[in-house]
Amino acid sequence: MTQNIARRTVFATALGGAAATMVRTPLAWGADPITIGCSIPQTGALASNGKAVLLTMQIWAEEVNAKGGILGRPVQLVYYDDQSNPANVPRIYTKLLDVDKVDLIVTNGTNLTVPAMPIAMERGKVVMCMFSLAINEKFRYDRFFQTMPYGPDGKAAISAGFFEVAMGMTPKPLTVALVGADAEFSKNAVAGAREQARKHGLRVVYDRTYPPPTVDFGPIIRGIAATNPDLVYVGSYPLDTTGLIRSARELNFRPKLFGGGMVGTQNASLKGDLGEMLNDVVSYELYCPAAANHFPRVARLLEKYQPLAASNGVDAHGYYSPPFAYCSMEVLEQAVKGVGGLDQDKLAKYIHATKFDTIVGDIKFGADGEWTEPRMLTVQFRGLKGQGMDQFKNPSAEVILHPPQYRTGTVQHPMGPAAR
Amino acid sequence: MSNLRFWACGLLLVLTGWLLGRLVSNEYAFFAGYSVLQYILLATAWNILGGYAGYVNFGTAAFFALGAYVSVALNKMYALPLPVLIVAGGVASGLVGLLMGSLTLKLRGVFFSIATLALAIVSQAVITNWEYVGGASGAYVLRPRMGPLGGSYIEYLFYTMLVMAVAAVALARTIERSKVGYGLSAIRDDELAAEASGVPTLKLKLLATVASGTLMGMAGAPLPFYVAYLDPPSAFNLAYAVNTIAMPLVGGTGTWIGPVLGAILLTVVQETAMVTISSAANLLIVGLLMVGFITLAPNGIVGMVRSLREGRK
Repeated sequence: MTQNIARRTVFATALGGAAATMVRTPLAWGADPITIGCSIPQTGALASNGKAVLLTMQIWAEEVNAKGGILGRPVQLVYYDDQSNPANVPRIYTKLLDVDKVDLIVTNGTNLTVPAMPIAMERGKVVMCMFSLAINEKFRYDRFFQTMPYGPDGKAAISAGFFEVAMGMTPKPLTVALVGADAEFSKNAVAGAREQARKHGLRVVYDRTYPPPTVDFGPIIRGIAATNPDLVYVGSYPLDTTGLIRSARELNFRPKLFGGGMVGTQNASLKGDLGEMLNDVVSYELYCPAAANHFPRVARLLEKYQPLAASNGVDAHGYYSPPFAYCSMEVLEQAVKGVGGLDQDKLAKYIHATKFDTIVGDIKFGADGEWTEPRMLTVQFRGLKGQGMDQFKNPSAEVILHPPQYRTGTVQHPMGPAAR
Repeated sequence: MSNLRFWACGLLLVLTGWLLGRLVSNEYAFFAGYSVLQYILLATAWNILGGYAGYVNFGTAAFFALGAYVSVALNKMYALPLPVLIVAGGVASGLVGLLMGSLTLKLRGVFFSIATLALAIVSQAVITNWEYVGGASGAYVLRPRMGPLGGSYIEYLFYTMLVMAVAAVALARTIERSKVGYGLSAIRDDELAAEASGVPTLKLKLLATVASGTLMGMAGAPLPFYVAYLDPPSAFNLAYAVNTIAMPLVGGTGTWIGPVLGAILLTVVQETAMVTISSAANLLIVGLLMVGFITLAPNGIVGMVRSLREGRK
């Protein structure tokens, strides 16, 4: 549906009665809006992330419009729900570009960006992508930009922090077990971990995948425990993450280090549900309260986001996708202002040539459109008691172990019991 | 409708589609049109077994995805032209239909349906672990910008699907009006009586399964070029199975025109819902239409029209 930001403003969502005032806002603009189109999952498996991203984009658009728009023009978002189904994406982007005639496009997720790429490439459009992995290795499109901080070697970046932290332990670990779901992200994560294990001279004693619908993880944990690994690297999706951690706790399986590429440990409700079971588990993050000093503007975004998230039923904390979704929009905004227009060629060249000051720090894009330097955070959960989301707002709940410039503590090992 | 009129209409439809395509300047029409035609093909294919013989197939996604993955594999190996990939996808799915049919067609009613569901699950597990076609990570298929006949590649995909859809409807109509069709109808009405009357039930069911599977595989073969990326969850998406059953039910099973009407109605409604109300409403709309038609018009639109005509007489 076409989303008139001023009409369906995020603040109107929160304030309700203020909507009438917002409706009048676009009428005050003398210029045509700059339209930004995207296909974004609001239903299906990826809806949780899609909803948080959309909410953030709406917050950004509202702020931009309140400050006078971009180049004196208001910003308008045009979006359609792709139902988390890649087969719907080509139709949506052709509609956005050929019928709605949007000025800029934004994409979200690996599977949902790839189908948009040929369409964008045929029309020479800049693709501002959020949360995808290594897409441009195939397309090599010089107008593609991605704001997930994987850096130039995406597959390795997911696990690099985990292994560097592990190799800093005394005594050094010798063996590693690798386990992950038979699905896109986890297979990439485990493939990267395999490379890291080879690089660090670790012996792989367990290397298996499980089908995505698996619900009983007890046999998997028992199988891993039987090989007595020092490290257990897990590439999992939210439901598996919960299952694996619960099974490990039930079986009192406590290797030196456990975790790695666990999707879901970034989500407030899943964290709150697992609570103290997460103690000593190591996973990745994009942002957490322990990093707040480095990125002070994120707190301001979250102040707006969190009340709206509660009423919209999306990720309550918003540490994972919102800061990076906001940063994507900031890059577009700065590029349009820098170029002084919407010429796609000039925009692409500008984005390649510029270091952007964003909510998540300075970003420079490489030739492949990825960050020139990776900036994934490796964190360890500590001091959690019982269940509950609020305890994760405490900076000490997630200690940053890697990269060194953001470190707030050293790794605690071996894995202790859940309850302390 | 006489044979001559039918074939003239089919030819006219293809020509009109081609002419309209020449006049349309934005590609959205081709993408949306492709989707409608794909479902006409799938619904017609399903109807050959489900509508004519009364054997409900829940495994549409398996045949469809198999066609798509054969296309991915052959494209990776030899970069063959699309028509060859379509034939290969159809042959592969037809063979799977033959194999599955010979194993399961002795089962009747719900047991056969469960077997087709199992086929979809097993196929997805196989594809997920077949690394050559991308496995769980999915496969990228970079389509050319231009089609071999001029115009964009999506335009080419649209025309290809148009020809296949018209050919599938023609095949379904031919089957419906042949001895095979009468035999399948007899099976649907009472299989034991049909067998007692000398209808070669197993042979006819196998034939219907192969024809249905082949068409589904052919429908799936161009999918990787349409999406540019294929992974198991999207290729085996539940929506294909649900829509493919809903469309003949809404349009009217047992007739060649029923699936066509159902596919056009449901695809247009869903597409409109996606870009206007909310795509979350899509499957809800399909579900409500299915419930509505099963309750109020169990013979679909075709049955409703027939009742109205008979009422007038």
